[in-house]
Amino acid sequence: MEIFPALLSVITDPSLLFAIVLAAAVGMVVGATPGLTASAAIAMLLPITFYMSPLFALAFLYVIGKSGRYGGSIAAILFNTPGTAASAATQIDGYPLARAGQAGKAMKVATISSVIGDLMGDILLVVGVGFIASIALKLGPPETFAIYFAAFVVIGSVIGSSIVKGLASALMGILIAMVGLDPISSEERYTFGSFDLSNGVGLVPLMIGVFVLGEVFAQLETRRKASGETEENESTADGNSLTWEEYKPCLPHAFRGGFIGAGIGVLPGLGSAIAAFISYGEGKRRAKNPEKWGKGALEGVAAPEAANNAVSGPSMAPLLTLGIPGSTIGAILLGVFLIHGIQVGPTLFLTDKELVYKLFGCGMLGIVAYGLIGYFGATQVARIILKIPTNVLYPLIFLTAFVASYSARGSMFDVTVMTCAGFAGWLMRKYDFNVAAFVISFVLAKGAEETFRQSLLMSDGGALIFVERPIALAFLVIGAGAIAFRVRGIMKERKIAKGALEDA
Amino acid sequence: MRAYAEGLVLALISIVAIWGAWQVPAASPGDTWAGIVPFSASIALLFLSGLLLLGAVRQTAGDTGQEQDSGATLQIIGLFIIALIYQQSFRWFGYLLPTAIAAPVVLYFFGVRSWISLAVSVVLCPLIFHLIFFVLLGVYPPYGEVFDLLSWIQG
Repeated sequence: MEIFPALLSVITDPSLLFAIVLAAAVGMVVGATPGLTASAAIAMLLPITFYMSPLFALAFLYVIGKSGRYGGSIAAILFNTPGTAASAATQIDGYPLARAGQAGKAMKVATISSVIGDLMGDILLVVGVGFIASIALKLGPPETFAIYFAAFVVIGSVIGSSIVKGLASALMGILIAMVGLDPISSEERYTFGSFDLSNGVGLVPLMIGVFVLGEVFAQLETRRKASGETEENESTADGNSLTWEEYKPCLPHAFRGGFIGAGIGVLPGLGSAIAAFISYGEGKRRAKNPEKWGKGALEGVAAPEAANNAVSGPSMAPLLTLGIPGSTIGAILLGVFLIHGIQVGPTLFLTDKELVYKLFGCGMLGIVAYGLIGYFGATQVARIILKIPTNVLYPLIFLTAFVASYSARGSMFDVTVMTCAGFAGWLMRKYDFNVAAFVISFVLAKGAEETFRQSLLMSDGGALIFVERPIALAFLVIGAGAIAFRVRGIMKERKIAKGALEDA
Repeated sequence: MRAYAEGLVLALISIVAIWGAWQVPAASPGDTWAGIVPFSASIALLFLSGLLLLGAVRQTAGDTGQEQDSGATLQIIGLFIIALIYQQSFRWFGYLLPTAIAAPVVLYFFGVRSWISLAVSVVLCPLIFHLIFFVLLGVYPPYGEVFDLLSWIQG
């Protein structure tokens, strides 16, 4: 029930409403611009939020993240280039619809389905988050460490093409987080006698480096390989409008997608791309017209779009209740909480309950904002994107990365960290390492270390404490199970590929 | 070849990490060793690098790997060197002068060939970034130890 007074408070604050609408528009443009991600935009804007109130900062970035997820569908449908990985599933049916002169119709289906999925995710978050927090309050250090362990393993092994590289990325994130003074004993670790390193590696410069500068390097590489100009597909007069009869068959797919996305969103690391593809597959399996899917079915747009956006709200649940970000955007938002001195975890619902529910309220209003802008102006947004000169945009992003990383703490060392992180981020992308696992593990490492060492102190140095406590053991098993499940999946894929090769 | 290189680089990182963790002094009685997590993580990383190397050995001889675009890589390394010089020159010349030089160079890197645009960027980029970050947001600008254009302008 806390959500209603929170919503009322947000609605009556004109400056907050303006920030929400602005964030919805910015997120949409960023998400729809191929090569630009909501994570990069949020990382770049992070230092600016130092000068805002916590709610204003969090709402602004949270809505950019939400709207950015939706914005990906604009590029997927109109330009056949998914703005985000999650919108690749939308492209399968969205682009054929656009080619058939029904781009406007497809955009409207994507918008309505995104709003339905996102609102479902947020409602489930509001209903369930208090319950999860009350359980989380009862967990001791061994259980919390086991949850961290499961998160590391799931994030490292599930995302990306290689389990070994994913886990290695997660371990590198942990090792970078260990640089500096040990918070318990104040012993120096990996400082190599440098005073700057004794303060540790900052979250903000690392994120700006990996997501912003790394992306600029990657874009420079992509520009060499890219050929031809992107063209927008025009809608016919009939292809621009959407009737209730046309959307009615999409509704069950949108609701199912919403539940699939919300379920996947709670699990750290899986993300919206997986949710979108599962929802698409499930939708096609249950569809009355499966033969039309892939050739331009409106239901094929509704199912992945609803799932992709439904991930957004529930992915905040592990972040707010356990301090475990399930996505890169979650990891950046965790940084905002920390910057403003707000401790994320189960106690957040005791100390800053009002802020949390106001943030949820902002998220819901953000959905309405991007829904309205998208429904009436998605094609206009696409035209703006086509006019953005990328050869000017990326140099400006390059220059912004430096001044933004300096602004965070007024530290030149942070700028050096950002530059090195940018190059490392590009190298990781190039050699198929997992950048998301690296950053999320960097954020999680300190909390995991603290709970691990507290557990060892509780048991007088014995590691059996993690096995003797059933909840801790269950999460350790989940972690091991995730690897086993993934290995089995990869071996199955290889077997199929080998069989197909032999057949050929 | 690429898989071998990846495995070896990872192994090297993990060995340096093990050595670094080993330098952490022993724990005082009743406390836990501050190096326990870095040490465990670096051992795990060494194990994973071993798996990568094992995978490289198992790769078939016919697998030649992906085609590399060395031109793009060289361009990115060039941009990285510019980035390193640019960030270092903040310490020597403050923010304005390095940005005025870096802006047209980076624009040129991304394919802008109009001399007017490049000339405009020399003035506009430092001016706009200075106004947003150092005037509006009130961040204290980096001071150039050798020569600071901002101090010179302000007299």
